[in-house]
Amino acid sequence: MAEYLTYMGDGKRIFCTREKIIDDLQAGMAEAVEVGNVPDLTSEELAMLCDIVCDRNRIVSVEPGNEVVLSNDGAQNKFTGDSGSSGCGIEMSALAAAQVHERALSMDTFEFGSLDNNYSVKPLKAVIAMQMQKMEDMQNSMIVPFFYGAMPNMGLYYEPDGPFGNPPDLMREGKIEEAQSEMEKAMDMMTRDIEFMGVKMQEAGSDGFNFDTTASAGDGDFLSVLRGVELLKKARPEAQTMVGMSSENVIGIHGMLDYKGQDVAGIYPHDQAKLAEMAGVDVFGPVTNTKSGKSLAWNMAYSVALIKECEKKSNLPCHVNMGMGVGGIPMLETPPAEAVTRCSKAMVEVAKVDGI
Amino acid sequence: MTSFENERKAIATAMVAYKVPGIQKAAADAKAAGMEATDIIEAMGAGMSEVGVLFERGKLFLPHVLSAANGMSAAVKALEADLPKDQVGTKLAKVCMGTVEGDVHDIGKSICSTMLQCGGFDVVDLGRDVPSKDFIAQVKDNGCSMMGLSALMTTTMTVQRDIIGMLKDAGLRDDVKVMVGGAPVTQTWADKIGADCYSESASEQVDRAKALLG
Repeated sequence: MAEYLTYMGDGKRIFCTREKIIDDLQAGMAEAVEVGNVPDLTSEELAMLCDIVCDRNRIVSVEPGNEVVLSNDGAQNKFTGDSGSSGCGIEMSALAAAQVHERALSMDTFEFGSLDNNYSVKPLKAVIAMQMQKMEDMQNSMIVPFFYGAMPNMGLYYEPDGPFGNPPDLMREGKIEEAQSEMEKAMDMMTRDIEFMGVKMQEAGSDGFNFDTTASAGDGDFLSVLRGVELLKKARPEAQTMVGMSSENVIGIHGMLDYKGQDVAGIYPHDQAKLAEMAGVDVFGPVTNTKSGKSLAWNMAYSVALIKECEKKSNLPCHVNMGMGVGGIPMLETPPAEAVTRCSKAMVEVAKVDGI
Repeated sequence: MTSFENERKAIATAMVAYKVPGIQKAAADAKAAGMEATDIIEAMGAGMSEVGVLFERGKLFLPHVLSAANGMSAAVKALEADLPKDQVGTKLAKVCMGTVEGDVHDIGKSICSTMLQCGGFDVVDLGRDVPSKDFIAQVKDNGCSMMGLSALMTTTMTVQRDIIGMLKDAGLRDDVKVMVGGAPVTQTWADKIGADCYSESASEQVDRAKALLG
């Protein structure tokens, strides 16, 4: 019986029959249906996914006319960072990296983000003047929509990095209400920081802001970004905002937060996108988390089922996060091109995403 | 001979409903029906595992997990008189948890610590960016027989390997079970560095940690 080269979610090469691949696709879809409360994929869509996984070509792509927009997060660090010797580690300026992405790699948007502020909102206050100057300089040499990018990173507002008590630590001591109160204080500060930083970067000529890895600290993190975007859009309506998520569901650390009457904790991409829209976000970046113990086929069907529903329910353009450990792609620092291109094609042609 | 199916279901339902009085009542009802204290505690433990799964799926939230754990603790206290003396107040094992040196990510590790604590382990949470020698000291001087090493970056996951090496050098490797986790960490990595256990989620970690106890 013919076998096809494919991968596990941790990047291990495996060979599977078409029947096994179909079984995994169905199981992955079933898991998405259960956890995300989303509809089944159709039999035609499952067949398309199967064909994508079983394609004998090493690299696959979309049909002409199906190309989508490519936006970016992580800024120039993808080139310049050596990631402990497994990354590119190319010595180049932020501007050079941005221009390479714009002019050689055909990115449709790019961003300036800096490790000077840990690529995070809170420390940006200390270096805002220098970052504004760089943004202004770089905008003079860029054509594509060029944003400022940073992670909200609410963890930096808690002890030992910030002024507020650490909620999980407090909860372990049984201080649940105190933990929730500390989160609420941190949320207020982060919301103000987002508005401050966003307005300043707009003054420096930024086309907008990319909030990368939103909700990494749970529901309070996500709610602060929504409130911050709302304030930023009120102050600078021309600011284009992209909100990219950190995980497929919003972890309920606080558990009792709502945004305009809608629960924040525990929601999956299709509900996250609705809240983003209510806040005035312009582009939403949903995430699904690859399960490293499952196959590429399992993860692909799981991810496509969740993201298809997000795309269907959202009025916003959705640019799905695709890369190491997300979007069905294996958790491997340099993911196999076979997996990256297959998952990307599936997202575009089956989940019908607007961008990647 | 009864399997106390109804009581087990009532306990599981009460745990998932995470209300302290409800859990206490379910445990008391099971005891009144003649269920052994150890079996009641085991049923609550199974319910706690389900709570962990629901947390990860976004159906329950961290305060709910803590509330369920508090309910279980209260119910266990009420059962203490019926437990063998050597089981009263005992923890499954002492675990030191921390995010490795150079890595400031905290929340995933903290959730794992919380889940282990709820699962009956004595947890020493060392925080994040923990000097590697501090993990070794916990085994040497503080009686930790299990260790959880979290790393959220590809640049810091190698520290997990370094700490296992330090344990070997100190002659302590056989005294401690090493669990590894974090976003970039996989079973393949755990196998490669000789860790005893990898888990993809906090609730899975509790089950695997219990399995390590033998």
